[in-house]
Amino acid sequence: MLATILATVAVSLSLYGAMPLQDRVVPCEADTFFVVDTVSKYDSIVLLDDVKISGHSEKDFQMTSSQNKVQVNREYLEDNFTGSLSQTLEIVPGVKAISIGSSQSKPTIRGMGFNRMAVAENGIKHSSQQWGDDHGLEINQFEVDKVEIIKGPSALQFGSDAIGGVMNLFTNYAPLKDFEGSFLLTGRSNNQHLGLSAKIGGRSNKLFYKAGISVADYADYKVTADSIQYYSYWIKLKDKRLRNTAGKEYDADIMLGYIGKRFHTDIKISDNFSKSGFFADAHGLEVRLSNIDYDKSKRDICLPYQQVNHLKILSHSVLSVDKINLEANVAYQNNLREEHSEPISHGYMPTPDNTKERMFNKNTYTANIGLSAFISENNTLQGGINTELQKNDIDGWGFIIPTFSTLSLGGYLFDKHTIKENFIINGGIRYDYASTHIHGYSDWYKTPVGWNDSVYKQRSEDIKRNFNSLTYSFGLDYNIDEWIFKVNMGKSFRIPIAKELGADGINYHIFRYEKGNSSLDAEQSYQLDAGIKYTDSRIAFQADPYVNYFPNYIYLNPTAAYTEGLQTYYYTQAEVFRYGFELQVSYLITSYLQAEFQTEYLSSKQLSGPKKGYSLPFSVPWSMDCGLRYTFDKNKSGFIAINIHVVGDQNEIVPPEKTTEGYWILNMQASKRFRIGKNDMKVALQIKNILDKRYFDHTSYYRLIDVPEPSRNISLSIGYNF
Amino acid sequence: MKKLLYLSTAISLIFMACGDKDDEKRDMQRPSITDKGIEVSPSNCQSFKRGDSIPFRYVFTDNEELGAYNIEIHNNFTHHTHSTAKEDCDLDTEKHPVNPWVYNHDFAIPQNSTEYTADFNIPVPKDKDVGDYHFMIRLTDKAGWQEIKSVEIKITE
Repeated sequence: MLATILATVAVSLSLYGAMPLQDRVVPCEADTFFVVDTVSKYDSIVLLDDVKISGHSEKDFQMTSSQNKVQVNREYLEDNFTGSLSQTLEIVPGVKAISIGSSQSKPTIRGMGFNRMAVAENGIKHSSQQWGDDHGLEINQFEVDKVEIIKGPSALQFGSDAIGGVMNLFTNYAPLKDFEGSFLLTGRSNNQHLGLSAKIGGRSNKLFYKAGISVADYADYKVTADSIQYYSYWIKLKDKRLRNTAGKEYDADIMLGYIGKRFHTDIKISDNFSKSGFFADAHGLEVRLSNIDYDKSKRDICLPYQQVNHLKILSHSVLSVDKINLEANVAYQNNLREEHSEPISHGYMPTPDNTKERMFNKNTYTANIGLSAFISENNTLQGGINTELQKNDIDGWGFIIPTFSTLSLGGYLFDKHTIKENFIINGGIRYDYASTHIHGYSDWYKTPVGWNDSVYKQRSEDIKRNFNSLTYSFGLDYNIDEWIFKVNMGKSFRIPIAKELGADGINYHIFRYEKGNSSLDAEQSYQLDAGIKYTDSRIAFQADPYVNYFPNYIYLNPTAAYTEGLQTYYYTQAEVFRYGFELQVSYLITSYLQAEFQTEYLSSKQLSGPKKGYSLPFSVPWSMDCGLRYTFDKNKSGFIAINIHVVGDQNEIVPPEKTTEGYWILNMQASKRFRIGKNDMKVALQIKNILDKRYFDHTSYYRLIDVPEPSRNISLSIGYNF
Repeated sequence: MKKLLYLSTAISLIFMACGDKDDEKRDMQRPSITDKGIEVSPSNCQSFKRGDSIPFRYVFTDNEELGAYNIEIHNNFTHHTHSTAKEDCDLDTEKHPVNPWVYNHDFAIPQNSTEYTADFNIPVPKDKDVGDYHFMIRLTDKAGWQEIKSVEIKITE
């Protein structure tokens, strides 16, 4: 097996060596796309504490907030790298990825995904097309120095969307040496993935710079099936590969900074480009045959495919004067997404003359100002103002969301009071105003009405809406001996998105007629979280239960009716109650051997509306992990771990979902760090689904068309730091 | 250690206590498009002449209450396919549509039906392109579950 992957790496390497990326012969690829600047990103390693739930700094970290927070450092990410950042972070209890293919996925926190959680980079909200269930995250995971995941309502700091929580990525660590750098080479057997990431950085007196580049290229991924059975239709697969799921990704970033005694500022420019194919035999939920010879090559990207470019410019500055810290963040983001497919006529739509089915061009401007004042030894007051302007333009022959622009303004105040060293309380309040303008949209083709007439049907009205929201949160932290207790209560919200307010037409991606509702209210959520944590030299235990109530959850309700030949779904609001917990226990059997156990459970139910009694879409099933971890030596230079991942049945579904049977898979990981002179090298090995089991993931996009999850996957990465 | 055991027991008990009681009755079953007691029409790979009609005969069933159905006919001249049948029909050579037949109608099913037999004729226009077509049947139940059946047909001179 190891030989296979080494061979893959070697073959791909020689392939890369022989020809420049752009010139490789790719049979069905007609277009070349914007070449990403070869300047950019990456920091040099600043090794943090291990993510293990022990250690003093972890206790200090936990006492900083009554929210449920998890930190994942670079080392831990490296040991767990998968095809995408969201999948990599599935190691954190409560975090799941909704995946499409092997390298595109978006995260969910406690079952809340899409626009119900926020992803932020250095405190700035990442702005892509979060609403789409087949869209990825468009962030380069190799750029990330540290991830902080907040589980639970985080509207106070992040405004709209942070209902389920926040995934806060830190990419701004300053280099420590005059000159430093690193390389990371990754290979994966299942989709014959090869990735290379390189970064350099340096510091001279008060100035520093960082730059990095990453490339990745992967083939169609393998599943544990010779054919896919969907609506009694048989799709035969060649070599068990999911046709046309190959892809590639290029990333680049550059950062310049100044670190003074009282003033710190940095600016970072990054670009992420990816192109990946959609499974060729189905477009959305529609089975489709094509004349394209998909089986000619497993590495080519044919129609249908998606390509996205995300450009980001972030500026971050901090000024410290006496007991006051002033912070300013300014950012510009451009997310350009295109989805191409073979033009075909459907219903009254004639055959389009090009392949551009959809295009979204989103520009986001953000400016945040924050202030922290250390009023007394026991009291810190924070306040801030957030502003964001978004404009999303559309193009292409397939309509799914209208053009929109949204202006949001928010202001908050937050106070933290230390009653005793081991007892801290906090509370905050925030007000948000948002104004959204949805542009009208009419079909580009005519639809017959009555006997002898036809019209360009209007698919979205011109709508202007304003939203106000008052949110708050309060909580406490209490520490006694080995125990930490936390309680946090928070209200959060999100403003309805353009699709929810303005859609009135066929969603060709999933083949249904979606009707928006221009009178929807801002969605609100109340959540009560608790955290109980115990740590001694042998045992670490953590339990995080929560209850969550939505008075007006926005839900896309399937009906019995048809409009223009497709089932009608409409947006409505319903009361929803959810509860769940995460539990982790680790036990040090000997100083080298540790047993680990973690489990998570989540239940949701609609309490009112047309689907009263039903759950919510993409409900995360119960799961459990049991593992053993053996550390090689006292210096923690290496480890080997084995883990059983067990997932329960998911029978709580809503139309058009299917129930998903539970499964278990066996995984293993190992890594070892070697010193080479002053530098070090790290080799990490991961095997997922060792027994090559066939199973379905309830939250995978391809689940709806009965595609099983990837077969055995061996990943090897070699990193070198200098 | 003992404290820990008590605590975890307490937590598990709390969660078991508030586990789902399933008090509401929810429909979790899809409706069916069947051939119960009849010979269905159209069936896969059948041919129909322009100017004639396609007899539509299918039986719809549901465990609770049927919703509505839709019939959509569109060309398959370029061979995209949605057939739900295992056999492949003989397709004509690929061609570009000039004046293809588009048929798309929604039909109601009487309320409170758990079984319904659809039986009527769809006239085939005289002036539309001959060739391979998809005959799609979509059926919902009251709860919003949907079943789809696709039949490949041919329209001839």
